[in-house]
Parts: sequence; structure tokens; C-alpha cells
Amino acid sequence: MTPTIQLNGVSKFFGNIIALKDISFEAHKGEVTALLGDNGAGKSTLIKCLSGVHAPDEGEIIIEGKPVKFSSPRQAAAAGIGTVYQDLALQPLMSVSRNFFLGREINKGLFLDLDKMSEITRREMAKLGIDVADPNQPIGTLSGGQRQTLAISRAIYFGAKVLILDEPTSALGQKQQLEVLRTINEVRNRKDIAIIFITHNDLHARLIGDRFTFLNRGRILANGNREAIDTDNLRSLMAGGAELAELEAELKN
Amino acid sequence: MEDERLRKVSSLQSFVSRPELGSVFGLAIIVVTFMSLTTVSGTFSAMWTNPIGIQAWVELAAFVGILAIGASLLMIAGEFDLSMGANIALAGHSFALLLTFGVPVLPAILITFIELAFLGFIMGTIVVRTGLPSFIVTLGFWFASRGFAVFLSQTLVNQSRLSVKPYLKPPAGGGEDPTLIDNIFAFDKAFGLPFDAEVYYFAILVIITAFMLHRTRFGNWIYASGGDAQAARAVGVPVNRVKISLFMISTCLACLLGVLTVMTSGASDPKAGDFRELHAIAAAVIGGCALMGGYGSVIGAVLGAFIFAIASRGINFVPFIDNNLFRVMLGMMVLGAALLNQFLRNRVLRG
Repeated sequence: MTPTIQLNGVSKFFGNIIALKDISFEAHKGEVTALLGDNGAGKSTLIKCLSGVHAPDEGEIIIEGKPVKFSSPRQAAAAGIGTVYQDLALQPLMSVSRNFFLGREINKGLFLDLDKMSEITRREMAKLGIDVADPNQPIGTLSGGQRQTLAISRAIYFGAKVLILDEPTSALGQKQQLEVLRTINEVRNRKDIAIIFITHNDLHARLIGDRFTFLNRGRILANGNREAIDTDNLRSLMAGGAELAELEAELKN
Repeated sequence: MEDERLRKVSSLQSFVSRPELGSVFGLAIIVVTFMSLTTVSGTFSAMWTNPIGIQAWVELAAFVGILAIGASLLMIAGEFDLSMGANIALAGHSFALLLTFGVPVLPAILITFIELAFLGFIMGTIVVRTGLPSFIVTLGFWFASRGFAVFLSQTLVNQSRLSVKPYLKPPAGGGEDPTLIDNIFAFDKAFGLPFDAEVYYFAILVIITAFMLHRTRFGNWIYASGGDAQAARAVGVPVNRVKISLFMISTCLACLLGVLTVMTSGASDPKAGDFRELHAIAAAVIGGCALMGGYGSVIGAVLGAFIFAIASRGINFVPFIDNNLFRVMLGMMVLGAALLNQFLRNRVLRG
């Protein structure tokens, strides 16, 4: 099966700093590809390359078998890359439906078609298991998990084939983290979207991931599917493998 | 899952979350206060039923209100324009100079609007390109606009106050009648209407901008630009273009007042519009606009302008209160309104 998105030897340099070197992995529709790595591993740079903010200096990005080059986030979005950033790009004082359609409003003549926008927002949120009683409420009334769901359903509605989730669980409480994982599962069950789930939480990755890619200092440490990587190995890679062994040795002395 | 769902919200709660709420109460309080005070001092009918008394505060509300429309739109987008008052003088002088140099009235109006729109474009571009606070950028133009207006008129015609009466009145021998344009554009109470022209412009502009703000894509973008510009850019909102257009709207509103003032008074005045930018900003704040942007409404600013005008003119009808106390009162009102609005806004954020 052709991967929905595939990276071949992608590198990105900022001056003499090697932010990413020789990154290759693939994501398939109906699957969650967990991208793990500690702070500074290059996750943010990788997201920016995928979503058209940066152009890679080496290597290629292939979507559904066709190599692509993005010069702007708009182009990436048009090619089906939906990125949900950590801050979600939401307006706290605007209503749920206006947030959903911000920048892509539906007009009826000169004016906004608020009824249609509300109706679609409600329908799309319900597909991911959130019942929005009143889409005209300010977004401040939604929980953190519900806001994640809003950002995700917005990306899907506007044509994401590849959904990139940047640390979607990291800023949330325990209960809401699970709510977001449930939402991710709903998206996976649609079978038509490849999910790239960026996290440094190995528990969440293990719960929901189908494939795993480990980043460390801008390089791929390991790649594999669920069977190939047992959970102990996963945890040790998360903590940075060799470094953990070093620390263990230190602590024993 | 039940507790994670949205609560059903009663219409009362929806009303509480409207940005204009504070100013609705404020207006009611100010009207009741001045009705009582004028009753005590025996001037009730002079202020509230006499046409001249009503004109006094309605026309002031319109003047400040037209600027407050621009101030509130900019504030919702997270920006300020301190140069508005000075731009009234600049537009007035520019218009008067063009008339003095023999340009007919209508082209002179058009050229003045183009000049001021260009000025707004320059200010907006400086703000979005340099990232300097608009407070600083427009403070610079607050000095520059008025200074330039006086400089122009003094160097070119050696006068700081330009009379335009000869250019607006019809020539004795007939011919093309310039008052026709004068009447169409500035009304000049020509059609038997009770108020000055700015009152009607004000009414029309309020309706247009309120619809624009709440019912169009551009209005949505204004809120988003002020709420979280980065988030707005991430979903493709052209934040810089939105802000530059709003600066242009702001200077054009000042231009409208500048031209109208010259046409109705027959002269351009270097002091025209002095302090009006602050009155307009006060009206916007009283009307519920958040200084940091993302929240507010044109309707609120309109109510704020009426609060300002009733208090400002009303004080003249109440002889037993010192006129200077008006400024004290206005200052306290702005503070009180800002506090109340902050409280209401936090309720919206918390839900």
C-alpha cells in the first residue's frame, strides 16, 4: 500500500546547526504514527517542514506517491496537510462556529451564513463525539479537550488527509488527555486519514500508536510498528536509551 | 461525559456576555442622572425637549461617535489611532487650501479623502511592518498632522485659519452653483432637517459598520486580528491587510469630519478636533472595547459617545455643578467602565 505521506532523507539546517538529518518515515491512512522525542529532538522543526513553514534543505516529502514542495503553509494545507498546533490557533473570545470557519467563512450574499456555519460545526463536532449545544457560545466555555477536538475536526472538515497533532495531550489534565486520545481514535476509525501524533508521553503513544518513530538530536533513533518495538524498548528509547543507561550506571556508583 | 458537555445557556446569560452591556447601564444612569439634575435646576425642557438643547448633545455625540467608530474597530483589532483629532485639522486645511487654489468643491473633497486614506495606509504599514506599538506610531502623527496642517497654510497662504466662504457661496452672477455640492455633501440644514450633517452620516455609518463587524468575513477577521494575531495568521487571515485597512478607515472618518466642519463653519481651524481622539477612545472603552483587542462592538462605542455627549453638554444645563467637575466625572466614568467591562469579559472567558 502506498503511504499517505512519506519522508525520504529529509534534512534541515539553520546556519551551521543541523536541526534535522536524514529523517525518513511514513504514515498510512487509518493509522496513528507516533513521533516521539524529548525536548530539542527536532519535533518542532519536523512539523514545520511537514506543514510548509520551512522547506527542507535535503530529501523529499511524498504525498500519495507524488513528491511535493511547499513554499507556504497554505500550499501544505491545500495538499491535505492539516496541522493542529499546541496552541490550537483558536480565538478565545470568539464563538465556536466562528472559530471553526475563521479564514474560510461561508457567505450568503454579502453576509456570513451563520446558521449554516453553526449547523456544520455542530455536525462535525458530533462526528468526533462532542455535542456542542450552542455553537454561538464563546470558545472560553469549552474544556481543553473539547478545544482540541474543535481544532481537529476543523482540520478534517477542510480536507486534511494527513493530520499532524503537535503534543495534543501535553497541556491538559488527566481526564481531558483521555478525551483527546478518544478523539484521535475516532479519527483513526474513519480509515481515510493518516495521523501523525507528536508526543513525549510514551504511555499515550503506546495506547494509541500503530507505528513509532523516535527522534533524538535531529536524527531518527528507531522506526517500527507495534510488533517490532516492545514496550520496554519503547520506554528506554523515550528516555534516550544510552543516556538512561549512563544515568543508571552513575546512580549505582 | 455529561459534565463535559456545553451547558444550556439562557438568553439572560447570552445578554450578559454582550460587550455593550456595561454601556447600556451607563447610558441609563447618565440619562436618569441628568434628567434629575436638570429637573432640580429647572432646565429640564431646555436640555431634553427644546430642539436647540437636543441638537447640542446629539450633534456632539455624532461628532465623537464618528471617530469612536474608527477607534472601536481599531481597538478590536488591537490597535490605536491617536492622530484622529489632528487628522481632522489636517483634512480641513487640505480641503480649504484646495478650494483656495481654485479646485472645485467635489474634486477637492475627493482629493482630501485620497490624501487621508494614504496617510492611514502609511501609518498602518509602519505599524504592521515595524511591529512598533500603534500608540507610539500614531502619537508621532498626532504631532505631525497638526503641525503639517498649520505649516502648509501658513507657508502657502500666510494664514492659519482659512476662510472658504467665498468658494462655497454662489457667485453673484449665477452660473454653476457650488452650494449644490455643499448642500448634498454637508446638508447645512438645507433640506429642512433638524440636525447637522454629521448626525445623518453617523447614523448611516453605525449601521454599515455594525453589520460589517458582526455579519461579514472582514468583521470576523477584525476580531481575530485583535484576539490572537498569530492564531489568525495560522488559519489564513490576512492580519496585516486588515489592520492597514482599519487605519485607512480611521483617517477617512477624521477626513469626513474635517471636511464637514469646514463646510458648515465656512473656515478651516488649526485647532479643529483637538482632544477628540481621546474622547473617541474614551467612548470606545466605555462601550466595552478591550484595550488589548479581540472584544468590543461599534454599538457599544456609539452608546459611549452618547454618554460622553450627554455628560459633556448636560453639565452646562446644571449651573450648580462646576464645569471643571465634568472632567473629573468623565475620568471616573472611563475608569469605572473599564473595570466593569473587564469583569464582564472575564465572565465570557470563564463561561
